[in-house]
Amino acid sequence: MSNACPSPSPERLEVVEITKRFGGVTAISSASLTLSRGSIHGLIGPNGAGKSTMIGAISGFIKGISGAISFAGHDLAKLEPAAIARLGLSRTFQQATPIAGLTTLENVMVGMHIHHRAGMGSVLFRTPFMRREAREMEAAARLVLEELGLAGEADTDAADLPFGKLRFLEIARAAVMRPRILLLDEPAAGLNQIETERLAHLVREQRRQGVGILVVDHDVPFVFGVSDQVTVMNFGSVIASGKPDEVYRNAAVREAYLGAQDHEMEPV
Amino acid sequence: MKQAKVRPIEIAVLLLIALICLAAALGGSRLAIYNLTIIALYATVVISLNILLGFAGQASFAQTTFMAIGGYGLAILATRYGINPWLAIAVALALSILLALVIGKPLLRLRGHYLSMGTVALALGTASFANASSFTNGGWGITGIPSLTIGDLSFRNPAAFLILAWSLCGLSLLAYHLLGNSHIGRAWRALSTRQDISATLGIDVGHYKLMALLIAAAMASLAGSFYVAFTRFVGPDLYDISVVINLMFMLFVGGLRSTVGPIVGASFIILVPQAVAGFERYQNLAFFALLLVVILVRPAGLFGRARGGGALERLMPGWLARLQGDPR
Repeated sequence: MSNACPSPSPERLEVVEITKRFGGVTAISSASLTLSRGSIHGLIGPNGAGKSTMIGAISGFIKGISGAISFAGHDLAKLEPAAIARLGLSRTFQQATPIAGLTTLENVMVGMHIHHRAGMGSVLFRTPFMRREAREMEAAARLVLEELGLAGEADTDAADLPFGKLRFLEIARAAVMRPRILLLDEPAAGLNQIETERLAHLVREQRRQGVGILVVDHDVPFVFGVSDQVTVMNFGSVIASGKPDEVYRNAAVREAYLGAQDHEMEPV
Repeated sequence: MKQAKVRPIEIAVLLLIALICLAAALGGSRLAIYNLTIIALYATVVISLNILLGFAGQASFAQTTFMAIGGYGLAILATRYGINPWLAIAVALALSILLALVIGKPLLRLRGHYLSMGTVALALGTASFANASSFTNGGWGITGIPSLTIGDLSFRNPAAFLILAWSLCGLSLLAYHLLGNSHIGRAWRALSTRQDISATLGIDVGHYKLMALLIAAAMASLAGSFYVAFTRFVGPDLYDISVVINLMFMLFVGGLRSTVGPIVGASFIILVPQAVAGFERYQNLAFFALLLVVILVRPAGLFGRARGGGALERLMPGWLARLQGDPR
C-alpha cells in the first residue's frame, strides 16, 4: 500500500509533536505520527512507552496535551470523545470490554447508533420509517455476527462471551460505526495464533474498505505483518518510523526493544 | 431481541389489571377505586424512574420535586388565578421541563452516589420549601382545587378519574416500552454501564442523560398534577422523604427494567400496609418485614430481569438461595 498523499489531506490523521505529562512523569515527549485512510500504521514499544497515551490523546480521553492532533480540519485536542467519534474516529480498549446488560446483537447495534435518522417522535409513534430503519440495522448487525461466527450467541448477554469472541465483538462494534480512522489498543493481546490470523484478516479487510487503522500491540510479528508503516516508541519518544522492513533493520530499534526477540520477528 | 419481548406473564398481569380496573369502574367500592387510582398515578412516577434509573442508570431521588411542581402548579394556578385546570396542568408541565433543563446539565454531571445525594438534597429541599413558604400555604396546603372536566364529563366522578389515571399510566408504559426497544433505549442502557465506550461510538452521553431526565420529569409532573386533581388537595406531606423512599421501594420491589414492575411495585407498597392494618401498632413492622422478605427472595424485584441481585443475593443464606433455584 503506497502512501499517496504528499500534502496535508483532510482525510489524514496528523499527530504533530505532542507532549503529555502526568505530574512529573512524561508519558509522551514530542511524538509525531501520521495515518492515512486505507493504510495500517503499527505502533509498538515496551510497556510505558506511551502507546496507550497516544490512543487516549487522539480519541479525546486524555486532555492537557501540548502539540497538535488534527483530522478533517478539526483540532481533536479540543473535542470531547463523542464528538471525535462522530468525526469518524473510533477506538477499542486494552481490556476486551462488552457492554454488560446488552446482548451480543445489541452490542453490535449500539455501534450503529450514529447512523440512525429516526428521532424520538418517530420512535414514540412507530413511524414506518423508524420501523424500516430498525429492521435494516438489525439485519445488518446479524450479518456482522454471522461473519464473525457469533450468530449463535446473538441473544446472550455479551458479558458471558469467552475472551476471544469478546475481542472480535469489540472490534465489530467499532467497525459498524463505519469509521474513517480506527484505533485498536492491543487487539491481539490474549488471542491464540488462529485468532490472531483472523484478526489480521479482519484488519486488512477494514483497510480494503478505506479505513485508516492505528494498531498498538506487543505482538511484533502481527504488527509487522499487517502494517504499511511502523512507529516504535520508547520512554515516550518516537525512536523509529517507516516501512516495516526499514524499521525491522533499524539498529537502534533492535537494540532498544527487539534485541532478544529475533526469532519471534517473522511476520505473519 | 431480549429487551423487545414483553414476557407472557407480564402480558397476563397487564390484562388482569385492566380487568380489575374495568370491574372497579363499573361497580367497585369507593376504597377500591381510590386505591386503584392512586396506584396508577404512583406507577406512572415509577415508570418515569424506570426510564431514568432503569434505562439510563441515573439514580435520581428527585422525582418528587417534579410531582410537587405538577401538584402545586395546578393548585396555585387554578385556585389563586382561576386558570382552567387543564391549562394549569400544561403550564406546570412546562415548568417541570424547564426546571429539568436548567438543573439537568450540572446535576447529571454527578455520578453514582454523588448524583443520589444531590437529588436527595433537591427532594428534601422541595418538601421543606413547600412546608415553609406562604406561596404554597405552608403546612396547611391548598384545598378546593376545581375538578377536571371534558365537556359534560366531570372527573369528579371517581370511576371516571380511575379511567383517566390508568390512561396516563398506560400511555407512560407505552412510551417506556417504545423508547426502551429503540436505538434511544439501547443508547441509554449502553451509557448506564459504560459511558466511555458509548462515547467512542459517538453517543453524546450528556445529551442522552438529559433526554431521559426531561421525559421522566414530564411524566412525574403529569402524575403529580393528576394526583392533586383527584384528591383536590395538595400539601407538603405528599412530597416528603417517605414518598421519596417509597418510590424507590416500588421500583425495586416491582423489578428494575420490568414492564409491569412499576404497577406491581406500586400496588405492593400501597396495598400491603392496608392488608396488615390488623397488626395495629406493629403494622409498620409487619410491612417492612414483608418488604425485606421480598427483597431477599427476589433481589431483582418480583418481575425483575436485572442480572444477579448483587450484595443482597450474596448475603442470602444458602437454604434461601437454593429455595429460589440458585444452585450453590
